Amino acid sequence: MAGDMKRIPELEQEKYDADEQVKIICLGDSAVGKSKLMERFLMDGYRPQQLSTYALTLYKYTTTINGRPVLVDFWDTAGQECFQSMHPSYYFKAHACIMVFDVQRKVTYKNLSNWYKELREYRPEIPCLVVANKIDADMRMTQKSFNFAKKQGLPFYFVSAADGTNVVKVFKDAINMALSYKKNSSDFMDVVMRELENFDLERKEESAYEEEEEEEEGRAD
Amino acid sequence: MAIIAKRCGIKFDPPSVILIYEDEHTSKLRKRVMPVRSFSQFSDCSRAAERLKLHPRHGHYLDLVSVEQLVRLHMVLRDHLRGLSVEESLREQRRSHTHEEDLNKLSDEELNRRKAQMDVLFELNRRHKDDPDFVYDLEVEFPDNSVRETCSWDQSDEEF
Repeated sequence: MAGDMKRIPELEQEKYDADEQVKIICLGDSAVGKSKLMERFLMDGYRPQQLSTYALTLYKYTTTINGRPVLVDFWDTAGQECFQSMHPSYYFKAHACIMVFDVQRKVTYKNLSNWYKELREYRPEIPCLVVANKIDADMRMTQKSFNFAKKQGLPFYFVSAADGTNVVKVFKDAINMALSYKKNSSDFMDVVMRELENFDLERKEESAYEEEEEEEEGRAD
Repeated sequence: MAIIAKRCGIKFDPPSVILIYEDEHTSKLRKRVMPVRSFSQFSDCSRAAERLKLHPRHGHYLDLVSVEQLVRLHMVLRDHLRGLSVEESLREQRRSHTHEEDLNKLSDEELNRRKAQMDVLFELNRRHKDDPDFVYDLEVEFPDNSVRETCSWDQSDEEF
């Protein structure tokens, strides 16, 4: 499947360069409740696009921030977890990440470090939120401290997709962080991309550059 | 004598496994108390369960009771000796059963089965938007990280 992901129309990722569009990805083990959290946040308003070929579910969400409409694409996995790894295009151009574990299963907490490592390989700077889900199953877990988030300096939330605790807060915070990241990004690749976009290239040169990029991607597969 | 096991439970003092069964010939309900001997908070529950299952006098009463159930009952007995309540013991058992399993490695079918099991609790605790007390943006403050006790999950060998 590889780099072709970028060429199918549903996954036109260049749109995420527009000011009013952000991409937020969900990471975490199988069955930690990533989709349940999405559905709780979007309630009836959700129309997921199942892209089963790519083991992906996209949720589109529209909101207004400071009087301006913002389009958010939430990317959720649909079974890629079994590879313990996501396809690079999953991370491509993401502006924020919601990383989820299940307070009922230690292994999902331990695996956070693997997910986080992979995330940082592709997106060294984007905001990442750590979410402890299913607290309704065992409220005592909310009296415990979890070092992972503290150690990595990441915001941490206790949530329940079942009873709704802090679900909307997580997503609202994620959207705000994604927007502010996009505005102030110091990520080297983002800066380069922005510079390239602003660079007033001659039409001829511009097309030459694009062709070159296509070739690059082809080879990367 | 044919034994139809009805219920199987435990008694703490003295530590015993109790079986309620029906005697097929007389159709009478009877109770059998099987003392669990030389059992301490350090005992191996699987072994103890097996020992009872193969016991010369008690064993055949337990033909219809699974070893797994006997192991679970012995664990409650053992946890009691360690000072845990029945509720705590069951919670611990449920947790140790689910905690270590890496669901990433399961087949789709098996994963869906596990998700269906988890959905039972999800539906039980679920607040629906039609519920009178439903709040969409439900925010709950929890104690600050610094005042919470360290989770045992952070105490194991591997470091982040």
